[in-house]
Amino acid sequence: MAVAAAPSSSRAGRRLVGRVARSEGATGWLFASPAAILIAIFGLLPIAWSLLLSFQKADLLTPDTPWVGTANYRQMANDPLFAGAIQHTIVYTSLFVPGTIVVGFLIAVALNRKIRGISIYRTAAYVTMAVSSISAAIVFLWLFDPVYGVVNYGLSLLHLPQQPFMSDPSQALFVIVLMTVWGWTGFAVVIYLAALQGIPQDVLDAAAIDGASRFTVLRTIVVPLLSPATLFLVVWLTINALQLFDEVYLSTRGGPLYSTSVVVYYLWDQAFRQFNAGYAAAMAYALFLVIALVTAIQFWLGEKFVHYSS
Amino acid sequence: MAQVELRNVTRRYGSDVFALRDLNLDVADGEFIILVGPSGCGKSTALRLLAGLDKPTSGDILIGGQVVNSMLPGERDIAMVFQNYALYPHMSVYRNLAYGLKQRKTPKHEVDERVRRTSTMLGLESLLERKPAQLSGGQRQRVAMGRALVREPRVFLLDEPLSNLDAKLRSEVRGELKRLHHRLGITTIYVTHDQVEAMTLGDRICVMSEGTLQQLGTPQEIYESPANVFVAGFMGSPAMNLARVPLVAGQVLWGGLPVAHVELGLDEVVVGVRPESFRVVGADEPAAVATVDFVEPLGSHNLVHVRMEASGAPSPAGAPSPQTAELVVAQVPTHERPTPGSRIRLGIDPMDVYLFHPASGVALTEVQLSPIARIS
Amino acid sequence: MTVHTVVTVPDDVVSGTSTSNPVPDARRSRAPSPWHLVLIPITFVLLVPLLWMLITSLETPDEAAQFPPTLVPHDIRWANYPDALNAAPFGQFFLNSAIVAVVVVLSNVVLCSLAGYAFARLQFPGKSLLFASLMVTLMVPFQVTMIPEFLIVKWLGIHVASGVGIDHLGALIVPNLVTAFGIFFLRQFFRTIPVELEEAARIDGTSRIGVLFKIVLPLSLPALSTLAALTFLDSWNNFLWPLIVIDSQSNMTLPLGLTFFQSAHATQWTLLMAGNVMSLLPMLVIFFAAQRYFVRSVAATGLKG
Repeated sequence: MAVAAAPSSSRAGRRLVGRVARSEGATGWLFASPAAILIAIFGLLPIAWSLLLSFQKADLLTPDTPWVGTANYRQMANDPLFAGAIQHTIVYTSLFVPGTIVVGFLIAVALNRKIRGISIYRTAAYVTMAVSSISAAIVFLWLFDPVYGVVNYGLSLLHLPQQPFMSDPSQALFVIVLMTVWGWTGFAVVIYLAALQGIPQDVLDAAAIDGASRFTVLRTIVVPLLSPATLFLVVWLTINALQLFDEVYLSTRGGPLYSTSVVVYYLWDQAFRQFNAGYAAAMAYALFLVIALVTAIQFWLGEKFVHYSS
Repeated sequence: MAQVELRNVTRRYGSDVFALRDLNLDVADGEFIILVGPSGCGKSTALRLLAGLDKPTSGDILIGGQVVNSMLPGERDIAMVFQNYALYPHMSVYRNLAYGLKQRKTPKHEVDERVRRTSTMLGLESLLERKPAQLSGGQRQRVAMGRALVREPRVFLLDEPLSNLDAKLRSEVRGELKRLHHRLGITTIYVTHDQVEAMTLGDRICVMSEGTLQQLGTPQEIYESPANVFVAGFMGSPAMNLARVPLVAGQVLWGGLPVAHVELGLDEVVVGVRPESFRVVGADEPAAVATVDFVEPLGSHNLVHVRMEASGAPSPAGAPSPQTAELVVAQVPTHERPTPGSRIRLGIDPMDVYLFHPASGVALTEVQLSPIARIS
Repeated sequence: MTVHTVVTVPDDVVSGTSTSNPVPDARRSRAPSPWHLVLIPITFVLLVPLLWMLITSLETPDEAAQFPPTLVPHDIRWANYPDALNAAPFGQFFLNSAIVAVVVVLSNVVLCSLAGYAFARLQFPGKSLLFASLMVTLMVPFQVTMIPEFLIVKWLGIHVASGVGIDHLGALIVPNLVTAFGIFFLRQFFRTIPVELEEAARIDGTSRIGVLFKIVLPLSLPALSTLAALTFLDSWNNFLWPLIVIDSQSNMTLPLGLTFFQSAHATQWTLLMAGNVMSLLPMLVIFFAAQRYFVRSVAATGLKG
């Protein structure tokens, strides 16, 4: 009977399991391998493959991907649309990052007090975090509608001329800046509010006793003590700004006249619309290097200007 | 330098939470005054009101004879040392010291000169370029002091400035504070919950509890004639033994020993005896009899924790029931080292016995009672 | 690319109630603070986009197509909502988003816990090299990996199982079952748990897996809920990857479905806003219910969907 045979084999099995379980090395691999295999397939392999693709001509359809050397990289230097995308990305980033930081800082300072109803105000500021980039873009498109939009209505109340907004190549990018600043305000407020609460009250009291006005306290004590939060926001918002895509896709598809075509939008278009996957991979690597470089520079500057407590 | 006055100062939160109730206090020019009490007694509130970090609900605050109620902290010409020092963490020691002077538009060379002078006085010369995070606790404390001193304010406010130092450093800085005050003569208001600091530093001590002033007096007065049960119990270490004792025909019997006579028509009184007032006596002397619970040897003397036997004669069985036994601490010389469980006879000089009203807790003065002559 | 920061968030930031300051604020007991005059306009400006979305979703198409705009609708037109549902399967989009998010959250919590614990506490050959190579993926932006990921998913769909291939929900789930960020985040947290607790349990004869499930994970609930909240937000709001791999409407998640709906009904603003309200509502409900977790999580790690 199977029953009779079972004990000896199951005892051996238990011993084997016991020995494996006792060996820390095996347990470690056992625990780590599911995650490691998945990340190897969907994280590490694509990193290498992408590098390979950047030296190939690939269209995502045919399995044949001929080697083209550095042609894709050389093409970037001679592509006016790519140059435009870089320029738009730089303009966007240099407006979005400081804009979000200033708005977030001012609102956080206003919210950093204990008055009745403050939790309602805070929730209202945080709620933008729950709104997806797509939802926000749709709403802003409507707010800035050139014909029926409330923003134009507001301008008319102020006796200012109506604006075309999204349909004007010189304005569309700025509307995208506004919608993304709005979307990231809650995030910046949370970061700054947490940092503000970390400033000891007695340090502010000491400055008041030393005769500093409220504004001087803000300038000479609060702002320097918030510098780690500011550095974090600068780095984090910059990384996200350089990867802007969702809002552009939804609201303008890069137009009008390529005026909102930013790097990632152009890259996606090249890869999945024009099927120039090799070229897109090269651009992605270039973006990666730029992000790494910018982040490194920001941290390096941060070392000089940021005050870290303890 | 200036005198400081609080007139009927009350600080109320909401409609019924009193942080400070009708406080009156006169601090003479150059005086060193201590506000002492347990946490929540209102001492820190009083200091914050003086500094202008909080506003009184009613009453007036005067500095140098001038009402400062509506003046900002920076306009009051006061300086404050905070419990956690509150150094500007992103500034060097030099800039910490100079900050207040710069806010007052002091000329640059004068700022420099004063910072150098103050740092020399406090031994901070070699630390001027460091940030607070690079300093030890004691050094930070000095910088906090220096930041207050460098301004040469009219009034010096200190909020538990020694509480973050270890015991040895604390007594060092205590001595230094005393010397500095002697030398500079700045009116100083010092908040602490530590009675040793209160006794050693203050010209006068202001004992507070639950937002009200309990007693104001010199350290000697506070120790020798506490105004009420709270002051008696709070000042002195170890604390005064306090017990509710029923009166039998006006006789105050404690542990079987008559210690006082009260003719006020009361049923009971609160009796207080400081641990250091006990003497261990022989069988031939009148004494309160107690059972030794345990002994804490402290080197210079021993603290004997005993259970007082119920009022009246010791019970024949010798074992007092726990309900009636009171725990009492007696300070005795080191050679007295009774074993736990043994009986001990404690003599008390009636002159060292404090009596308090059982309801109000107010001290019964000598006028109101007649101490029994010591029976020898 | 992820930047890690340690921001401790006082409860105060989360709830807005005063607990930390021992000295109650003077203004509390007195007349309303003048700061309300600053905060009310700020709040209004921040909420205008959402309010305007709601108002438009209740207007008639004629009211919406007017200038000056109708600020208060004359008749509240609820019919925009059923109309929007008829025009696009928002229920399906929602279901797809929910399936993807729930599976991804659960698998991240389990797999990142196992791997995070291994990297935090166990010694095994190749550990540091493995950890370092996993962390490399944290540095690289998604744009670098998305093209090969597309090709891998396509290959898997043809050669392994069609359910994980292009235009299937599996394609949204499988590549996100585990993240290097989650492993790193939990590893850091596990290292703060006193090792003595684990040693005591092991001396009592508990196995490694028992220690993880009976000691470590119960103590890590704050970190696990933070990871869950972040993973959920990320998955729920993800747009670029679904855009690349999903084509048919029946497999779209909410952001993608909304985009599809927007391009099909670009001038029907009342329907568009009704659809937008419906796609936002579940997230808003979850956000209000778990505001504490979201705020803490976002501040703690600096991730945003």
